[in-house]
Amino acid sequence: MFNDLDPILHSQLRLAIMSLLISVREAEFTFIREKTNSTSGNLSVQVQKLKEAGYIEVIKEFKDNYPNTKCKITKEGLVAFENYVKALQQYLNVKQQ
Amino acid sequence: MCSLQRLNYVIIHLYIMPSKEQYFSPAESLKLIQSMIDKTKNSISDKSHYFLLWGWAIFIGCVLQYWLKVIVNWPQHYYAWLITPVALVVHFYFTLRDKRKEKVQTYIGEAFRYLWISIGSSFMVLAFIFSHIGWQYCYPFYILFYAIGTYVSGSLIKFKPLKYGGLVCFPLAAVAELLSSDDQILILALAVMLSYIIPGYLLRQQYKKQLKHNG
Repeated sequence: MFNDLDPILHSQLRLAIMSLLISVREAEFTFIREKTNSTSGNLSVQVQKLKEAGYIEVIKEFKDNYPNTKCKITKEGLVAFENYVKALQQYLNVKQQ
Repeated sequence: MCSLQRLNYVIIHLYIMPSKEQYFSPAESLKLIQSMIDKTKNSISDKSHYFLLWGWAIFIGCVLQYWLKVIVNWPQHYYAWLITPVALVVHFYFTLRDKRKEKVQTYIGEAFRYLWISIGSSFMVLAFIFSHIGWQYCYPFYILFYAIGTYVSGSLIKFKPLKYGGLVCFPLAAVAELLSSDDQILILALAVMLSYIIPGYLLRQQYKKQLKHNG
């Protein structure tokens, strides 16, 4: 059953990022960092991995003359997240039986 | 599995999922998802200042107009509504300030914004219409729009005082229609007290509690 779990999502920080983005329209990098209690370096690496997988979109812009990074979930990311949750549920059901 | 998929699998397992990455069980995964979703629940920014700003502006406008019209008998009693452009300036100041502070955009926040943009636009159109047909008919319509705005807002953020405040405005709009235009001013004041001011203070109190709880 574990083989069915998406390896990109089955990582604490990446799953935390996706779980945050699933319930909002878009979130700033600083917001994700605060909510996940992660460091900027680690978060940047995981955000990049999610972006490369096509699960999130990273928007770089300027806010009050300072660079600002925003993230939002993509359609592929949404489908992957749904499949991941379904796989988790299947696993837990099997375990309970 | 084609060669490209196999290569993808190898890349993922060798590079994306390094062995030092902490293993966690499916039960922990679900717990993590739940905790993150719970954290975003409290991310709807505090909007109580808008309700308090407009609530007090309209309330003062109503009381002042009633006093100038009924008690003082001053023909230019409508000057009481000069408070509206002042409130509009403060409103734009709040909007700019909040936009700078906003770190996350929620779907509820977006729905909230579209709702109030459409209601604000409706107020402008109503002002144009009543400037032609006579302001004496305006009060029930304004109360009706307060009802829609606060009822939907209260439902969106699941805040009962705002929702009930909005619901109370529906019969108030009907009652206002049965009264004289002077008394309608007082009904309008009552409507904003119940749908904007009281829920506004309760909403602020709730956010303060939430902030304290979240540390």
